[in-house]
Amino acid sequence: MAFDLGVLRKLDEYLFEIPASYNAGMRVPARIYADREILEMAARDRSLEQLANVAWLPGIVGFALALPDIHEGYGFPIGGVAATDMKQGVISPGGVGYDINCGVRLLATNIDAAQARPFLQALVDAAADAIPAGVGRGGDVRLRRERLDDALEGGAEWAVQAGFGRREDTEHCEENGRMPWARAGAVSSRAKERGGDQLGTLGAGNHFIEIDEVLEIYDEEAANAYGLRKGQLVAQIHSGSRGLGHQVCTDYVQRFQSVVKREGYRLPDRELVCAPLASQEGQDYLAAMSAAANFAWANRQVMTEFMRRGFEKVGAARGLRIELFVVYDVAHNVAKVERHTVNGRSLELCVHRKGATRAFPPGHSAIPAAYRAVGQPVLVPGDMGTGSYVLRATEKAMREAFGSCCHGAGRALSRAGARREMTAEEVRATLAEQGIAVRAGSAKGLIEEAPGAYKDIHHVVEVVHGAGIATKVAYLRPLGVVKG
Amino acid sequence: MRGYEELQHTADVALRVWGRTLPELFVAAAEGMFALMGAPERLDSERELELEAEDLEALLVDWLNELIYLRDRYQELYSSFDVQVWPSWRLHGVARGGKAKPQGALIKAATYHGLAIGRLEEGEGFVAEIVFDT
Repeated sequence: MAFDLGVLRKLDEYLFEIPASYNAGMRVPARIYADREILEMAARDRSLEQLANVAWLPGIVGFALALPDIHEGYGFPIGGVAATDMKQGVISPGGVGYDINCGVRLLATNIDAAQARPFLQALVDAAADAIPAGVGRGGDVRLRRERLDDALEGGAEWAVQAGFGRREDTEHCEENGRMPWARAGAVSSRAKERGGDQLGTLGAGNHFIEIDEVLEIYDEEAANAYGLRKGQLVAQIHSGSRGLGHQVCTDYVQRFQSVVKREGYRLPDRELVCAPLASQEGQDYLAAMSAAANFAWANRQVMTEFMRRGFEKVGAARGLRIELFVVYDVAHNVAKVERHTVNGRSLELCVHRKGATRAFPPGHSAIPAAYRAVGQPVLVPGDMGTGSYVLRATEKAMREAFGSCCHGAGRALSRAGARREMTAEEVRATLAEQGIAVRAGSAKGLIEEAPGAYKDIHHVVEVVHGAGIATKVAYLRPLGVVKG
Repeated sequence: MRGYEELQHTADVALRVWGRTLPELFVAAAEGMFALMGAPERLDSERELELEAEDLEALLVDWLNELIYLRDRYQELYSSFDVQVWPSWRLHGVARGGKAKPQGALIKAATYHGLAIGRLEEGEGFVAEIVFDT
């Protein structure tokens, strides 16, 4: 199963290429931002083989790309980007994943972490009590079908109009929390039944709410623009489109099986199924996936408001006014229509990011006005014991990486492996030693997401910083965690 | 003679499942998948499924994804299954279970990744390896 690293060409200190000649089906080369250690880790499982498989996609442009948080997925690797031509290319549900618009939202408070220390557990409890977590759990926000359709087409903007949050929250969201290609009619009624009652809920698995302290600032100019300062109390929400998004992916992977046969596509794995962007099926998936993405943005917006109310109460009981501001919200499982320059030609592309974050450079019109001079914030959460980074995107990411960067640490240990190596008590003890307050839905979930199960976040960030596709702005240290 | 075992997979969950007959294989796959999520407190719900697919692998993926859909739709887990399979390719299935709070990794879907239903080497029977998104 191990991948022969001898086939790789070194393009730059942190950039390697699998040539298109590696196998007969690759239409373009595959590239990976990495160093020797990350390559060796990726070579141990199917990550690099899966990356090479992505290069088979009809209409893929330039190269298939992986970031240093790459790990083994199913079909596509996690931590990858594939850009396809809107006219000649395909769209692939597997290149987005089942948790459509799984993403991260960073919230800043107006208080210092030191101030919050004495009532940290109360803040963790407030978040945990306000936001239902766990598998398939429904929430308090139950929508009638027509209201759900509004949420699917309106995203975070709809949530604000419905009373969950403020106008300025959505200004600091990728796409302003609303993808324009969404069509509620492209989402099956089964998907609406499966996830329709899950608005404002966290979910299970790797989803979390975290309360952090800004421990380090590396870039004062960008930190100022983002409203971050040393010692500040901040929070993160990591969640997605819940059962609704999962079902959209399931529906279209099933529907596209016959499209692949009709089009005569040769693919190395059935999970790579795809449809021409210029076909009815392709357009339907784009519309349904966008609607699910909007549901995820509405979800994170509703959760933001729940947390805001919870924090306000905790503060009020102590004579303190605690406010929450949205710093930024990024999607890391999504496909977007974007314009990029490839080999000197400006092309309209469908950029699939699966476990990858959009990273648009200073001056780009898609960035909020307040951040335009410094570039888009790139949020890179680590595991629950280590910490997270805020980066800023660069022109180089736009030129060389389809405006993309890494999305997290990336798993190093399987869930089964984590269960063999640790107990829930050990994980709790390790976190307690570091003063991290925890609320977890299940012991099994806590172990599977334990700090030791992930790659070193510092190492992943050093590679993207070294490669110059994003640079470090701030480092956040976890103080409290809510797990699904 | 049916069963399942968890395989090594870095990010997600993978199972090897086997059975003497195709219905046994399908039952083993469902049992293995729900064993990862916990058990229902009581068996007081029965769900019936009718499925049709282009090939056998697609039928297996559809069967598991249909059960995942029912899990979320009714907030239930299942632990007892009956399956009948007919060529080119149809399935009648029954899942028995009840309300439960699932544990651990959420299985979002069964995937087609590397999926092939093969013959067991020793003796009669079928085997498949399935990767789940968690």
